[in-house]
Amino acid sequence: MKNFKYIFLGLILLAAQLAEAQNAKGKTGTFALTNANLVTITNGTISNATLIIADGKISALGKDVTVPEGAEVIDCTGLSVYPGMIEGGSRLGLSEVGSDARTRDYNEVGDVIPQMRALTAVNPNSVLIPVTRISGVTTALAVPDGSLFPGTAALVNLHGYTPDQMYAGFEAVVLNFPSTGKRGRWDSRSEEDIKKDAEKALKQLNDAWDKAVAYYRIDSAIRVKDSKKEMQYYPEMENLLPVVRGEKTLLVEVNAADDIKAAIDWVADKNIKVVFSGVSEGWRVAEKLAEAKIPVIAGPVLSIPNREYDRYDRSYANPGIMQKAGVKVAIKTADTENVRNLPYNAGFAATYGMGKEEALKAITIVPAEIFEVADQLGSLEKGKIANVFVADGDPFETETQVRHLFIQGWKIPLESRQTKLYDEFLEREPGLKK
Amino acid sequence: MTGSKLVFMRRALLLLFPALSYLTSLGQSSELAPVTRTYAIKNARIVQAPGRIIDNGVLVIKNGIITAVGKNIEIPAEARIIKADTMYVYAGFIDGLSHTGVPKPKEEENKVKDPGNPPNDIAGIEPQRDVRNMLDPNDKSVDEMRRLGFAVSHVVPHGRMLPGQGAIILHAGESPDAMVYKQQASLFSQLTGAPGIYPNTVIGVMAKYRELYRQAEQAKAYKARYIQDATGMERPSSDRVLEAFYPVIDKQIPVVFKAEDVLSIQRVIDLKSQLGFNLMLAEIKQGWDISEKLKNSGAKLFLSLDLPEMKEEKSMPDTTKTTDKNVELKADKDPEKQRLQARKDETIKKHYQQPALLQSQGVEFGFSTFEAKPRDIKGNLSKLIENGLSEDAALSALTTTPARLLGLSSTMGTLDIGKIANLVITDKSYFDKESKVKYVFVDGKIFEYKDEPVPKKNGETVRVTGKWTYNTETPQGVHTGDIVINGEEGDYSGTISSTISGDTNDLSNISVDGDQLSFSFTVVIEGNAVLVEVIVTVEEGSFEGTMTAGDYGSYPIEGERSPEK
Amino acid sequence: MKEYIAIVLLLLFSQAVQSQQKGTVLIKNGTVLTITKGTMEATDVLIKDGVISKIGKGLSTPKGAQTIDATGMYVMPGIIDAHSHIALDAVNEATSPVTAEVWTGDAINPLDVSIYRALAGGVTISHALHGSANAIGGQSETIKHRYGTVDPDALRMKEAPRTIKFALGENPTRVHGGGNGIVPRTRMGVEAVFRSSFSEARQYMKAWDEYNAGKSKKGYKGTAPQYDLRLETLADILKGDIIVHCHSYRADEIYMLMQVCKDFGIKKLVFQHVNEGFKVAPELAEFGAMASVFSDWWAYKFEVYYSTAYNATILHKNGVVTSINSDSGELIRHLYHEAAKTQKYGGLSDNDALSMITINPAKQLGIESRVGSIEEGKDGDIAIFKNHPLSIYTIPMMTIVDGVVEFDRENDPDDMRIYVDPKETIDVTLHGTGHAGDRCMQDAEFLFHE
Repeated sequence: MKNFKYIFLGLILLAAQLAEAQNAKGKTGTFALTNANLVTITNGTISNATLIIADGKISALGKDVTVPEGAEVIDCTGLSVYPGMIEGGSRLGLSEVGSDARTRDYNEVGDVIPQMRALTAVNPNSVLIPVTRISGVTTALAVPDGSLFPGTAALVNLHGYTPDQMYAGFEAVVLNFPSTGKRGRWDSRSEEDIKKDAEKALKQLNDAWDKAVAYYRIDSAIRVKDSKKEMQYYPEMENLLPVVRGEKTLLVEVNAADDIKAAIDWVADKNIKVVFSGVSEGWRVAEKLAEAKIPVIAGPVLSIPNREYDRYDRSYANPGIMQKAGVKVAIKTADTENVRNLPYNAGFAATYGMGKEEALKAITIVPAEIFEVADQLGSLEKGKIANVFVADGDPFETETQVRHLFIQGWKIPLESRQTKLYDEFLEREPGLKK
Repeated sequence: MTGSKLVFMRRALLLLFPALSYLTSLGQSSELAPVTRTYAIKNARIVQAPGRIIDNGVLVIKNGIITAVGKNIEIPAEARIIKADTMYVYAGFIDGLSHTGVPKPKEEENKVKDPGNPPNDIAGIEPQRDVRNMLDPNDKSVDEMRRLGFAVSHVVPHGRMLPGQGAIILHAGESPDAMVYKQQASLFSQLTGAPGIYPNTVIGVMAKYRELYRQAEQAKAYKARYIQDATGMERPSSDRVLEAFYPVIDKQIPVVFKAEDVLSIQRVIDLKSQLGFNLMLAEIKQGWDISEKLKNSGAKLFLSLDLPEMKEEKSMPDTTKTTDKNVELKADKDPEKQRLQARKDETIKKHYQQPALLQSQGVEFGFSTFEAKPRDIKGNLSKLIENGLSEDAALSALTTTPARLLGLSSTMGTLDIGKIANLVITDKSYFDKESKVKYVFVDGKIFEYKDEPVPKKNGETVRVTGKWTYNTETPQGVHTGDIVINGEEGDYSGTISSTISGDTNDLSNISVDGDQLSFSFTVVIEGNAVLVEVIVTVEEGSFEGTMTAGDYGSYPIEGERSPEK
Repeated sequence: MKEYIAIVLLLLFSQAVQSQQKGTVLIKNGTVLTITKGTMEATDVLIKDGVISKIGKGLSTPKGAQTIDATGMYVMPGIIDAHSHIALDAVNEATSPVTAEVWTGDAINPLDVSIYRALAGGVTISHALHGSANAIGGQSETIKHRYGTVDPDALRMKEAPRTIKFALGENPTRVHGGGNGIVPRTRMGVEAVFRSSFSEARQYMKAWDEYNAGKSKKGYKGTAPQYDLRLETLADILKGDIIVHCHSYRADEIYMLMQVCKDFGIKKLVFQHVNEGFKVAPELAEFGAMASVFSDWWAYKFEVYYSTAYNATILHKNGVVTSINSDSGELIRHLYHEAAKTQKYGGLSDNDALSMITINPAKQLGIESRVGSIEEGKDGDIAIFKNHPLSIYTIPMMTIVDGVVEFDRENDPDDMRIYVDPKETIDVTLHGTGHAGDRCMQDAEFLFHE
């Protein structure tokens, strides 16, 4: 009997260890961040103020806010509070180990497959997620990739155990716009061949689009007659339908200058909701983008200029050039495991012409607006979801440390496998001795 | 018809077309011998050597040798007289390096067990091979070069790193041996790796080259020791690869390296300075920035006559392709594109000014025609002169200099008594754009060239639209399929299908120049997109030519027009 | 006429080659981060004929020399990248697990515009490494970023010792075992390749020693072993003439190579990437092996899944000489920012962080007596930054190699290509993310059969 007790104890200990092997648990409740510098993004910066988090939301903020009873008070003297950063397009959650196909879930088979939903494949328990969020990136767009219409991207908050808990309220159908660029250094196609391939892809795109439009017309006609009647099962068209209707955003990945121009022309007469992503040569056609009033998610900023003869800092300057021309610019890393470098991508954009304030907007309120969640995310405002991080300095500066992190009102431990390895190995035991 | 009558008929034909016998293709080796081997070229402007000109002179050839040249020369009674009034006579040109007369062998697919240790031949290490065993006197390249005035070529085998030994050949002769003037003239080398096997990259090739050379020196020295006192010594093993280096080590023959770009050239010069062999550098394309280095290397130099396309200042719009036109139109508006175009033009100009520059710096050179398309060579020479090279210097680079560099000066390079009768006779100065080659003598044999119909520029090109069937043999097997071409000049489109792959690919860059049809398409080989370029000559309802698939080699392709329904 | 043409031509081509220049320049009044001798405010640095001749206040400009006003700016030693593949026409001779005889110095491409882009990030020296396809890859070349020449030789840093690239783990096992079905297919095989290669090299040396001892004797009948460039190179490693730079990820394989090196008396050892170096940091320190790491790359393949961005800090604090490298034509442009990440991940001091891209990589390449800090007598390789180089808001303003200004942001023409492809008509737009600039496995792609 005694033995049994020990075994039972042992099991409990083992369970505790297992829990330890994943992530430490967050906690929720009412929190008061006092004596803080509140960088609201939308209403300037309020120094020496308080921010209250309750029921997962920012319930109050300002200089004369009273701390509610029972709130956990966190003294933020000398610290600044920021809204969580939003990554505008990555594979986070859809890929665990880059080179291992068995851990890659962003590239389904097929050319026109908008029915493939990133949200169902995002792995809430990816080791990459804690690594990302403890740098202050609280939300990310998980984007499928592959052929023409590779699927539907989803915006997720980086905490939760099911897609429903993580979903941040935005999906977009992804279109990889036919590219006239080279696919890689080994792409030996002639200029003409590249053009031909792009034309072929454009034909395929137009064909799919025409079908979607036809589907939409018939669908509407049917519904006018009988609202209960349904179209024949055709998932590709069913998932393009909300885009044709102008209800769902089309996220267009496009980079080369000529392609951007072609993409602008392509959407011109369609009356749909469009966001361009990537746009590494946006600086070449910034006026046109501004004129077309198409918002962009630019990135990665830390990348090589597209052409050998381009000025060396073009990729750093790209977001700023577009923003100054009047384009609405968000910034993305387009990374997987290093989405944590989002503030540095923004920092380089800031340094090379965009300015700190606009660059900070480009990873907070601007992506929130582009993703139609500006009522919930992207700034410190009363009633918004409490995606918040507290830092001991400018979040762009490399030496700055994140001190506290909240996602959807949950206080998240600043822990990841990378910090745990640090704790374990900084002074290894045993060291050299056996 | 009786036999004697037949002979008479043939003879009559011969009298009518004295040169026809040499123009007929292979299999006609039962030709009659010429009536005489003595020729007299009369009233010509004889350019004996650059700067040595005899106006209204006579040149006499007997038994393949120049026996007299000058004014007031007595013409032997047995001579066939060539009336060359107002014509120019030059020494036959000498090509510093090419595959003239050496057909490209089929690439065989080789499965190698250990790519790190492949057999030498698969790795492209075959320095023991002799180009004489690969010569085909009837290969069309011989005639193509001869028509341009080239009487002599330094030719080498096809291959990769060490394809074999080169020879000096004359562009006449009915058998390989009859063509060869000098065998084992050089050891041919390239910085070309073997696909997927060692040595694969330039660093592998350089390392392997050093090792082979050192091993050859070592083996040679050991052999010398052994010959002196063999008793009790391990017998030296025979190694034909290493032995091929012995004459190089002894400085009896040079290494001829094909090196086109500025970096390859310098890599080869590095090898030379480390190993100490005599070096010939051929097919030089980008040497303008390293002229000092070239001069100081002690290498013998041959500049490539394969030059990038240069837009004529007053270009006729009909010669430019539509795509270029679009680019140009855009470029007019876009300052960035204009700047880039200007840089590109400047680079192209540098290629054309290079010979003039090297000449002005006292660097000696001949020319090589390795990668030059025969139809471009004459025009390119004219353009070099437009870009500052003097006619004399151009002529030197085609005659006296290569003769000296290749060790042929005693018998070739000038029109002097006692030299081999290699001549080219043109109706105007050779370097005049409009000039035509009328006669070429090689080794005392006469070749007469009638004016060829020049394809008219204004739409008088051959009709290529419609459906064709083709076949070609590649390592994958015999491909057949259809080529369909639609549209009209300047705006063709088309497809090509293959029975082997089952794919149909779109054609691009379709262009027609006279009777030449060229196009390209992309196929995927081993996961890489490879551009396949096809150039064929179209005659009536058929075509033949070559298909080049990047690094995968070139293959003959032929086809016929499908009957139209 | 002829002469006229010649003159015109010479004028046309005059912009061409500058060979190895040595410049004289005075950098006035900057904040000088010497790295080895502390920080000096408002101090001048004089470079004379390519060498730092004086550091002090109020120095006067030598006749005809350029003066750079660095007031308000930061002057640091030229950044050194211990792991790069820029300026190379070939990276991997991936056809055999052992290719010690090949040498990236044979493939230097001074025309690569990546050199200029690296200069624009303050990088004056890079280690042009062979790739990681083979257990024993090729010898490598330390190059100075003297951009603007067409002469590969002008880029070589002649004083730098010889180096060679080794590789452990997935790359050699995938290429040779997976791709070609020859050893190594596992980490056991990788070790076996090292042990057999070095054993063979020992035998080779011994046979040569015997031959050399005998050959001068009268009537000697012996035979020398056949000259073998691969074994010659391996022998030079055993003799200590070549520094080993080894691509590695996992702790076990790092430990393995140290054991092998101990057994064969190889002491000069630098581990590259070393993502799990932190797990065996005490052993690395004890051996005297150094580490050249990524700031934060991980998870792009399984053997880097258990990484931490704190790696550099842990190694450094355990006494391992550590550098931060790029392995990429993209990262090399902001190594100053990569070094700054050691402050986020472990709070290193400014000087420790900057050491990781200056004096530490210099030590790893065996060139610390010439470069890596601002000291009198060292090479005039300098990077001038607008703000402190570890700040995100800094901008590299000028980069100087051997006293020659190679990059000047204020006078930067967009198109810095040295040669233009006369056939290139395409608007080449390449855009990659993540490891697009990573050329570690270039020339080896055809061997992957995933």
